[in-house]
Amino acid sequence: MSKSRDENGRMHDPSRRKFLKGVGIAGAGAAVADKLWTEAQAEEQGTSLKTVSGSVKISLDVNGKTQPVEVEPRTTLLNALRNHLEPAVTGPKLVCDMGTCGACTVLIDGQPAYSCLILAVDATNKKITTVEGLGSPEKPNAVQAAFVEHDALMCGFCTPGFVTSISAYLKKNPNPSLAEVREACKGNFCRCGTYPRVFEAALAAAKKSV
Amino acid sequence: MQQQTQQQPAAKPKKKIRVPRVINGVEQMVEIEVDEDSGPGWGPNDKHTLLNHRIPRVDGPLKASGTAKYTYDMRLPGMLYGRILRCPHAHARITSMNTDAASAIPGVKAIVKAPLEETRFSGAPVAAVAAITPEIADDAIHAIVVKYEILPHVVIPDESIKPGAPKVVPDPPDRKEDNLQQKAKAGDLQKVEAAFATADAIIEAEYRTARLHHSCLETHGMVVDYRGGETATVYASTQGTFTIPEESAKFLGLPQSAVTAVVQHMGGGFGSKFGIGTEGMFACRLSKETKSPVKLMLTRYDEFVMTGNRSASWQKIKAGVKKDGSLVAVQSRQYRLGGVGQGSQAGQPYIYRGGEFYREIYALHTNEDSSNAMRAPGHPQASFAIESLMDELAYKIQMDPVAFRKKNLLSPTYHRQLDRGAKEIGWSRRNAMAGGNPGPLKRGFGCAVGTWGGGGNNQCKVDVTVARDGSVVVAVGVQDLGTGTRTYTRAIVAEEFGLQVTDVTEQIGNSKLGAAVASGGSVTAASLSPSVKDAAIKARLLFAERVAPLLDNAKPEDIKFANGTVSANNKSITWKQASASLPAAGITSHGVWRSDLQATGVQGCCFAEVEVDVETGFIRPIKMVHIQNGGLPLNRLTMESQINGGMIQSLGMSLWEGRVIDGELGMPLNPHFGDYKLPGSLEMPELVPIIDDDDKREAVIGIAEPAVIPAVGAIANAVFNATGVRIRELPITPDKILMGLMNSGPISTAKV
Repeated sequence: MSKSRDENGRMHDPSRRKFLKGVGIAGAGAAVADKLWTEAQAEEQGTSLKTVSGSVKISLDVNGKTQPVEVEPRTTLLNALRNHLEPAVTGPKLVCDMGTCGACTVLIDGQPAYSCLILAVDATNKKITTVEGLGSPEKPNAVQAAFVEHDALMCGFCTPGFVTSISAYLKKNPNPSLAEVREACKGNFCRCGTYPRVFEAALAAAKKSV
Repeated sequence: MQQQTQQQPAAKPKKKIRVPRVINGVEQMVEIEVDEDSGPGWGPNDKHTLLNHRIPRVDGPLKASGTAKYTYDMRLPGMLYGRILRCPHAHARITSMNTDAASAIPGVKAIVKAPLEETRFSGAPVAAVAAITPEIADDAIHAIVVKYEILPHVVIPDESIKPGAPKVVPDPPDRKEDNLQQKAKAGDLQKVEAAFATADAIIEAEYRTARLHHSCLETHGMVVDYRGGETATVYASTQGTFTIPEESAKFLGLPQSAVTAVVQHMGGGFGSKFGIGTEGMFACRLSKETKSPVKLMLTRYDEFVMTGNRSASWQKIKAGVKKDGSLVAVQSRQYRLGGVGQGSQAGQPYIYRGGEFYREIYALHTNEDSSNAMRAPGHPQASFAIESLMDELAYKIQMDPVAFRKKNLLSPTYHRQLDRGAKEIGWSRRNAMAGGNPGPLKRGFGCAVGTWGGGGNNQCKVDVTVARDGSVVVAVGVQDLGTGTRTYTRAIVAEEFGLQVTDVTEQIGNSKLGAAVASGGSVTAASLSPSVKDAAIKARLLFAERVAPLLDNAKPEDIKFANGTVSANNKSITWKQASASLPAAGITSHGVWRSDLQATGVQGCCFAEVEVDVETGFIRPIKMVHIQNGGLPLNRLTMESQINGGMIQSLGMSLWEGRVIDGELGMPLNPHFGDYKLPGSLEMPELVPIIDDDDKREAVIGIAEPAVIPAVGAIANAVFNATGVRIRELPITPDKILMGLMNSGPISTAKV
């Protein structure tokens, strides 16, 4: 996996070693059933650990609220949001669970990411924003309002992902072309067939927020 | 007891009509009796204040902010998560199953077995587990040890049809059957053969379409809230609220009336979500056993292998025409490829009625999961074949494909729509010589037509209540699939009272509310909206009777409701003031279906422009235009969205989508979005949905399904026009284009 630099210039390193270190810090005392994890820990601590299944206590900063949550190390961020946080954060949808459809898109420190491909334990100390954090039915952001006005949704199951991807993109590029909008949401699938109106809504939202 | 001599009200005159009713997503015609007299109608289509306008959908803000709660979003206290174990083999007998290791995993609460010993497709469910997290449930299904005796299978139709092929479906008790079974025949073979002798041109060809996946983004499943008491609530991702309680009750061991089905928002169905399904059966059994709420939503892999599909097709058709373009005969042999199921395919020559015809329709089984209803079941398959063939004939006699269709389709609606479509796409830019454009990037144009019923039936019962504070509620148990049902339900009532959409609230998606149709066959709008209108008219008259004393005792039917005011006899009061004259409990009306407020029969046509790179075979759709009539458009905004959706799904079928299965293993090779190619943002052409307002019928008709039919033929024909290569097997992929170009001889890539 490649390293990337986030908006604040911090390196985002999703490598296994870094992740394992993260687990060690966040979940001190917790044991997990992952042989490699055990080996890595053992290597660093100079000790040997027994592998048993278990959970780790971490905290997640979701939509501006930091909350403790107990998850297995293998629990994805998506499942942590939906199945473990109280109350559940269900805007991001579980659709493919393998990083192909974009329905689970969230912002991690402002960058769109598939939350089904990120482990919850790797999302600690990061600002996680879901579609609920972008606006509400009463106070929608420009993209959400434009989606409603332009009928850029039908069944609505892909909508949180599209809204999140586009909202992040418009921050980066407030005046996009149609081609750029298509590119910005190429990681999101819709089955009902809302694409043309998603494009319209994105361009309209851009005009309004400029 | 002494007999009462009280006068009975005279029975209303009745009439018998035939209407579509949906059974498992497939419509069947039934005869029903309805009142002959009709009440007030919708009025002219261009005189509405809300309907036939662009109304943003009322659930839009909830969906766009991620706060709409779908079945998949339900999380209840103590809820367990279900997972299903599947047989990987295409055909096998279960010889043993050991669940000891799985049961021993901490957090696993229950394991139930499927009621079958022999599996007939890869992905058949064999057991299900419930555990405290989905991750543990996943561990558990991996820890169940199943031993199989592997049996012979066949998944390739061309092999299944051969004598001695492995038997796919067991014989009925009374007879022996092959994998190939004749299901229907129609027409006169002798007349067809005689007519072919008079034809100036004949084409005989084979067409095939791939097996498609509905790919609902919300997978199938239910959340069963049963905690050992006397009642249960079942949250279901379904196209039919009322298809849930009876079956759920059976597996929960409860009376049907004790089970409430809830469907507030659902993430796509496209024909695949009726009844509780195997997954619902497992969810109920697991919940019953654990006395805990159970959520069993299928995984994406499950969804690909178990929830049905659009049946593949294999069609052999021969057709002949006169030089003037008139059809003289069409003969066809059609195979429905429905796996272990029946499949579906409209009979040829589909909508072309000229000349003689003869057809035989067969089901040809393979060891694949059963097909299921999918948006216009059997129609895009038939449409692709016949529209390709009509195009081939037109080119053969050197006739313009639009003129050819007008020659063979008598309805003036088609003529009008074809002319409009030709203008919108720029048909005059089309090079009549297929593949004749200069350069390696070749543009081409194609067209096709389609039809559908879209009428409703009398299954919807709607209540409209106006409270003394002026608030209005319209209630009916119907589900909204994302088709805009909530929005037009509100709008009909709001318009009747001269209010805004925001002044009315709808309560839907609950089996304790008024009965409603299941959404298949495009019957919902034409079934529901007349009942809503009827309830709204009755509520208006009840309201008017109450408010009449405030308006110089005006006749209730003369009282006007407009712009938030109620007026008569030159007096006008606000809606709030008028409502205050209602009794404490307000008023409630009960609406029933009226056949005169709906109709059946719609027509549409699609035009497509594509660009094909003849050096790589890459196809880029450039523009698509679909013109659709539908009587009174309840909401122009959502109707256009549905037309867009139809075009896009049809485009997927034309160019990208199809199950790939391994003949040796009998396993699907692309059961995930990584390899099953859905239409995406980068491939979108310019889409132009056009509502045909020349249809002046003041009646509601469903249009969801017709929108998916003709585009597939239009795209295929555009590819031919661009390249001169006729691809008769979907999806049309670059390899097929290149092979076709190789076989058809040199094509010029020179730029002029």
